Amino acid sequence: MENMKRDKTVHRGVCHLLLAMLALVLPAAVSAEPSGQAMSFTCAGCHGTDGASVGPSMPAIAGMDPEVFVDAMQAYRQDERNASIMNRIAKAYTDEQLKEMAWFFASQRLRLFPQPHDPVLAEQGARLHEEYCEKCHEKGGRPGDAGTLAGQWMPYLHYSMEDFINGKRKWPRKMQRKVDAAIEAAGDKAIPALVNYYGSQQ
Amino acid sequence: MPRRIAITGFVSLLAALLCTSIVPVAFATATEQPEEELMIDHFDPETGKRVIPNERCLTCHGDQQQQTDVRDDGTPVQIFVHSKEIEASVHGSQSCTSCHVTIDRVPHRKAPAVIVGCIECHRDTWEKHKNDTDDKYARLKVVNEQIGSYMQSIHAQPSKLDQSRTNATCYDCHEGHNIGELGSIQRAEKRLKNPEVCGRCHEKELEDYRTSDHGKAVLEKKDSESAVCSDCHTTHDIASPETDKAMLAITKNCGDCHEEAQRTYFKSYHGQVHRLGYTDAAKCHDCHGGHSVKGEDDPTSEIHADNRLENCRNCHEEANDNFLSFWPHGDAHDRENYPGLWAFRVFMEILIFSVMGFFWIHVLLWLYREVMDRIQGKGFVEDLSQPDLVYFRRFPVVWRWIHFLFAIATMTLILTGTTLLFSHTAWAKAVVEFLGGIRMEGIIHRTAAILWLGIFFIHLAIATSNIWRQRKTFEWFGSTSLIPNMKDLQDLKNMFKWFLGRGPRPEFSHWTYWQKFDYWAPFWGATVIGASGLILFMPDKTSLILPGWTFNIANLVHAEEALLAAIFLNSVHFFNVHFRPERFPMSTAIFTGVIPIDEFKHDHRLEYERLVAAGELEKHLVQRPSRRVSLVASFITTVLIMTGLTLLTLVLFGLITIPS
Repeated sequence: MENMKRDKTVHRGVCHLLLAMLALVLPAAVSAEPSGQAMSFTCAGCHGTDGASVGPSMPAIAGMDPEVFVDAMQAYRQDERNASIMNRIAKAYTDEQLKEMAWFFASQRLRLFPQPHDPVLAEQGARLHEEYCEKCHEKGGRPGDAGTLAGQWMPYLHYSMEDFINGKRKWPRKMQRKVDAAIEAAGDKAIPALVNYYGSQQ
Repeated sequence: MPRRIAITGFVSLLAALLCTSIVPVAFATATEQPEEELMIDHFDPETGKRVIPNERCLTCHGDQQQQTDVRDDGTPVQIFVHSKEIEASVHGSQSCTSCHVTIDRVPHRKAPAVIVGCIECHRDTWEKHKNDTDDKYARLKVVNEQIGSYMQSIHAQPSKLDQSRTNATCYDCHEGHNIGELGSIQRAEKRLKNPEVCGRCHEKELEDYRTSDHGKAVLEKKDSESAVCSDCHTTHDIASPETDKAMLAITKNCGDCHEEAQRTYFKSYHGQVHRLGYTDAAKCHDCHGGHSVKGEDDPTSEIHADNRLENCRNCHEEANDNFLSFWPHGDAHDRENYPGLWAFRVFMEILIFSVMGFFWIHVLLWLYREVMDRIQGKGFVEDLSQPDLVYFRRFPVVWRWIHFLFAIATMTLILTGTTLLFSHTAWAKAVVEFLGGIRMEGIIHRTAAILWLGIFFIHLAIATSNIWRQRKTFEWFGSTSLIPNMKDLQDLKNMFKWFLGRGPRPEFSHWTYWQKFDYWAPFWGATVIGASGLILFMPDKTSLILPGWTFNIANLVHAEEALLAAIFLNSVHFFNVHFRPERFPMSTAIFTGVIPIDEFKHDHRLEYERLVAAGELEKHLVQRPSRRVSLVASFITTVLIMTGLTLLTLVLFGLITIPS
């Protein structure tokens, strides 16, 4: 009897606590979709906290241009871009949610990690970049409407360029012409040189 | 809990633990550019739209080394813009994307099109600043007026070849990146460039223009004072050259520089028609050529002596060599170059001033005398106790009809003719428009002229046959004859004496001297106006026997003589017949044909006495006209008097406002 009474009291206490918790949580859960920040938490596993990827083949997405982000996600969603799993992930989000996430990452500051690179190649890459890439990937490829190249993880850059060259990713307007010209000028070293240049930047 | 999930949870935990130890290390080595803005700062927080700084555009578009790029289809395209020019222009502080509003991504994801609308921004900005106290935006008022003109122009119409675009838009003519302020160097340069700019579309016209005196001065000698396209065609209010609007504007604009030529042109029939707003008669470019205008000494010039006749024949199909001696810019005030024309003008003006001067003095003195007489209780006064019952017949039916038709024809001629003479007035333009245009007016004028001359000759025939029938007994200088005689001169002298109170009122026979003057004046008028009118009526025919300069003389004397008639009839004749106090407000005798016997006795005492003495008076006496006949006569007289006075007002208004 005594036990029963205590049990009841405990139950009532737990109920009250749950109710109180519900009262606090429910409105938030019901009234709004998950925020861009909340949705972006799920990206952290691969792209690092707040998009600051710790590499090496996962691109940093912190500080990314929001429209470039949305373009990329939409391309994945429509299977227009060579993906490992991003095509599946991208399909889970609405346009609005993509925009929310884009704004979240755009509000982050890009963190760059030092990468081992070949300074000679990087030097050559710097010249190639200036000649063929700078007009679109301005300021040495800093984040912008042409994506983030400066300080980007080098293996990722390699894979991306391979995708472009192997026809697995659609060239943006004019890019093929420029890359072809760079390869024409520097041969097989062109892409490694450029990748080393971008990887060399801090 | 399924085992796999448990494992996953464990691994996650491990990973989290690892992170807590690794990430700080990673952070320690990571670098950040705190001085750089965040990505979101490149977007407008309000609209969420990307902010594209001009420098970003100029990375490609300002690169002197690579001024061209290739389109997606491989064709080259000029992409270079002078950043310095833009900065120095009125739009120097604007961002590229405030005009190039469709550019939202750099690098451009799609081939960009030049989609620029100037109008909305200029309108909105003016709307916002039109009440500003400073004049920073004052020029926008003119800009907006020009926009208004442009929107009405042929350039703003959809292109016939491609309805999705207009024939031309702002930046087709204005260098969008280099628009200077008023008085700036850009604008001075722009003037010299104007023909080339227009010539980008109007190639044929530019080629013609190059050969012209204007074109040579502007394009070869860089003389910005000479005419460029927009001086004649206007800048924004450009109409299709086939339209009246364009032809009128161009001819008017020629006069902005060629003032003297325009002044003399407006004196000619061609110019008068033009000034009324019609393009039917020759305009500057019809004779001088439009784009290829050259001096008369140039053998390729359209006004060179060898080529001129061809121009005349564009309108006057049967023009012959005599047309060449016509003076298109004949100036009756230029004694040196046009002595003949000058002499005719002087003669006609002396005639007008002397006739009008003499008769207006006559009118004023007469008015003075009758008013004075009335004050003193003298003069002819209707006896109210003995109303007129007996009337004297003065005009048979045929003369009454002739006078009526003559009056109608004359007034019609005055109305239609003076519109040309006073083509500068608004009333003239309104009248011509009301009548149905210049061609209809020409038809009306010529119809009235034929009627007028017809009546004149019919009258002449009747009068001649009357005299012929009475040839045995007709007294050329008898009391009923209209031929002036010495007594008329005596009467005139005595009239002036009476006016001045120095003698009695003279007694008159059947016709007074002023009635004889009114009768004979149309003989002179018919000769002068009729002959000159016929020359102008049928220039192709008359030029077979007359030299071209007779058109100039005919035009001058036709107008001057008509002016004299219009003023004389509607002032002096009206006074003598209707307005002098003895007759006021009117005499209906010319429509009823009769006057009260008392009035006849008073005005034609000698004839009355002669008739009484000869016992012939009874033959001429009739009953008082019926009330209806009196009313009809009063009505017609009133309408004609009012019309005449209106015409007089219009003519005097035209004379006073005639441009010097």
